[in-house]
Amino acid sequence: MEALLTATACDYSPGMAILNEPGLTDEAHWIRRARRADVRAFESLYRMHVDRVYGLCLRMTGNVAEAEDCTQDAFIRAWKQLGKFRGESAFGTWLHRIAVNCVLGRMRKSRRERERIALVAERNDTPTAAADSGELAELAEAVGRLPEGARHVFVLNAVYGYSHEETGSMLGIATGTSKAQLHRARRLLAQQLDKEGT
Amino acid sequence: MNDRREEELITSAGRLTEEVAPGRDLWPAIADAIERPARRPWQMSYLAQAATVLLLIGASSAVTYVMVRDTAAPIVSDGEALIVEPVSYADHHALGPKYKKAHAELEAQLQDELKRLPPDTRGEVERNLAIIRGAIAEISVALDSEPDNALLQQMLLKSYQEELSLMQHVGGLTQRVTARKDI
Repeated sequence: MEALLTATACDYSPGMAILNEPGLTDEAHWIRRARRADVRAFESLYRMHVDRVYGLCLRMTGNVAEAEDCTQDAFIRAWKQLGKFRGESAFGTWLHRIAVNCVLGRMRKSRRERERIALVAERNDTPTAAADSGELAELAEAVGRLPEGARHVFVLNAVYGYSHEETGSMLGIATGTSKAQLHRARRLLAQQLDKEGT
Repeated sequence: MNDRREEELITSAGRLTEEVAPGRDLWPAIADAIERPARRPWQMSYLAQAATVLLLIGASSAVTYVMVRDTAAPIVSDGEALIVEPVSYADHHALGPKYKKAHAELEAQLQDELKRLPPDTRGEVERNLAIIRGAIAEISVALDSEPDNALLQQMLLKSYQEELSLMQHVGGLTQRVTARKDI
């Protein structure tokens, strides 16, 4: 078991010597320490969760720069709100909720700003596709082209597996709206992919 | 047919990668953001507090002074005449040699220590010192024309105390900065 923990710890190698301490990969341990303002413990939590948070932000925004900003914002907010984390949900889910709020906050920016983001996104050659291959890459690209509301629901529900209740709660929409948006997303995706002959 | 196609899409979507590694390390910016407020607001609040206390004391004392000065009308009493003797703190506000020595030593240290502070903190300290010293100069001018005014004397002493306190605090700040092992 210890060997397994050590092996897992080595996976978090970049800049994370602290994680190589045997037996100290327990998330609850790092949360307890981070709540006592231990920045290194929080860095451990960051290393454990950054890929999943960034992945969500990238799929929701469809833009590398925005996803990086949202990820950073999410972790900064998480640090400030650590005292509010009661462990009622998994820490990763709690982080996801914060990340979704960050994404939505940025999306609420002025129309002009969103247009600028959209232009940058176009130039980025749909970066979400880079993480997947084959048919999945085409699906990822098509998801990136969905309208905002449908895309957010699709990513949270179909990609990350959140229920409609959880998705609605995260996005601040009714459960029924989440279901309707997923239905719309499925239809639009099928149309897009069929048109492309996939 | 369409339903089956859409169901397949949902199944495929579940296989999309949930974890994507960012192209660069995002931690340094996060660390910078979360560590900065832990230090700076505390310093700022202490310095701001010193200036605020002084300004409050100055403002309330000034109001009291103006009100006392303007109510110079004689007190009318039906009883026996009150024996009023002017009270003076005389030279109590004058600075003794001990204070002058302590002040001179702190002033010398202050200049060295200011150099060790981050530029924005140094600016904050200098602004607060300027406020206090400005108050001292104004009160001193007022005392020249009313040397026995007890209120002005108290204000002056209080201002000197604030100045010393701030100068000592700067010493503490630099010690803490230089004592930190994590920076």
